[in-house]
Amino acid sequence: MSSFLEYVPGDSMLHRLNPVAKLGAAALFAVACFCSGSLAFLAVLLAAGFLLAASCGMVRQTLGLARAVLAFSLVLAVVQLLTTPAGAQLAPLPWGYIGTGGLLAALTTVVRLVAAAIPLFLVFYATKLNDLTNAAVKVLRVPYRYAFAFTSTVRFIPVFMNDMKGIMEAQTARGVEFDTGGMVKKARLMVPLCVPLLVSSVRKTNSAAIAAEVRGFNLRTVDSGYKGYPLAVRDVAALAACALLVAVSVALGAAG
Amino acid sequence: MIRITDFSFRYREGAAPAVSGVSLAIGRGEFVGVTGAAGSGKSTLAYAMNGIVPHCYPGDFYGSVEVDGMDTCEAALTDVSCVVGSVCQDVESQFVTSVVEDEVLYGLENFAVPRGEIESRLTRALADMGIADLRERAIASLSGGQKQKVAIASVLALRPKVLVLDEPTAELDPASSLSVFDLLARYARQHGTAVVVVEQKIALLARYADALVVMEEGRIRFADAPAAVLSHDEELVRIGVGCPRSTTLVNRLRAAGVCSGRAARTVREACDVVKEAVA
Repeated sequence: MSSFLEYVPGDSMLHRLNPVAKLGAAALFAVACFCSGSLAFLAVLLAAGFLLAASCGMVRQTLGLARAVLAFSLVLAVVQLLTTPAGAQLAPLPWGYIGTGGLLAALTTVVRLVAAAIPLFLVFYATKLNDLTNAAVKVLRVPYRYAFAFTSTVRFIPVFMNDMKGIMEAQTARGVEFDTGGMVKKARLMVPLCVPLLVSSVRKTNSAAIAAEVRGFNLRTVDSGYKGYPLAVRDVAALAACALLVAVSVALGAAG
Repeated sequence: MIRITDFSFRYREGAAPAVSGVSLAIGRGEFVGVTGAAGSGKSTLAYAMNGIVPHCYPGDFYGSVEVDGMDTCEAALTDVSCVVGSVCQDVESQFVTSVVEDEVLYGLENFAVPRGEIESRLTRALADMGIADLRERAIASLSGGQKQKVAIASVLALRPKVLVLDEPTAELDPASSLSVFDLLARYARQHGTAVVVVEQKIALLARYADALVVMEEGRIRFADAPAAVLSHDEELVRIGVGCPRSTTLVNRLRAAGVCSGRAARTVREACDVVKEAVA
């Protein structure tokens, strides 16, 4: 079973797309989410995101991601709910009121963030990071060291998450109770764990940098990659479809 | 191929030198085992051979380390890496990609191996390590032993003139450890590659290495053919290096005057000695 943001092998349409086209299409999809305030349009985009996840057999991962983004966006939604006194009043507040307009805006924020995040995360699940790096270098002419730094950062996320889990399990075995008490207590218990995590992160990053250097990192050029990443018709079609979504989103935004 | 002359190194944050006054010469096609207790300077010696010391870990560097005529202190790490293939102790943190195939490809791409050769080298390296079926697997999903084999395969594919491996079988089961040593010894012979293996498993080193270097507190305590080094079994135990039981048995028989000759490196050699003694 793969961890957070770790490549899941497959043969879906998303897997077969050019890495750069995937990334570009996902970015356009996210732009479309932010260009329109129409809840109905955003709901359609959200549904499209889940359909895409189902097409590459990653519904479980997507639900997990949606839950995580939901938790984060709920914070923003609550702030918006309390600071946007619009529409019919639902509840009075000392500084204004909670209204139907605020509720709709909060709901739109939640749907927008979840819908925008899903394709971006699916790209990482459906693309080998090495392909993403090499395609960015070969197709977009991004300097290798920047592309490598970006994908290495993504690659280390699950590694550090596993490290954190290991440290927490070790602490739990010594009697620390992470599963009791509220969020504040949990946060207080986790602060001291940041030090060993930081130490191990720096050590691992340093080792990976040395390993890359002794295997010729500095000799790498644009032409070094073994595989080619030509754009196919399906890649252009995916980019065009997402560009069309942006156009529709902008039009809806202008109309609304 | 490797010439170390009066080499000493103290890490910047270290109070005492990690390695002191080490001189060593390793020829083309030679398989050398380096062993010693923890903290005896084995890894620092390996780092000096692949240029990681002083390029990545700064400190006080004295003497000289030459690999294929190149001073590792003066040459850039990338230039040293063109000659020396390295497998570090902590294989987990030396991976730079997330899939087995990409990990082996990484060095081949960087060192501009001709495109026509890449596939055959990749296939060969994976097959040699017995992990051809893992080619498409995510590295994170592999066991410790499988990861170690991937790390070794990714270096073997580069066909370097010198191979420096720091505890390459630490996570492997006995059968896999044997096959890795078997492969390394064969590789050294076939390609004329100088192979240096830092290892705690002295029985394996004794069986496969042409020469054994035993480190003690940063200095070379013994550097000789394995049989000659193993004849000092009591001293080896005293400095924290275990001796194969077959070697200890034969050495005790020799001490008791039951048999004579050189120390036994393997169980088979010990059997021969005992058979001869009782005949």
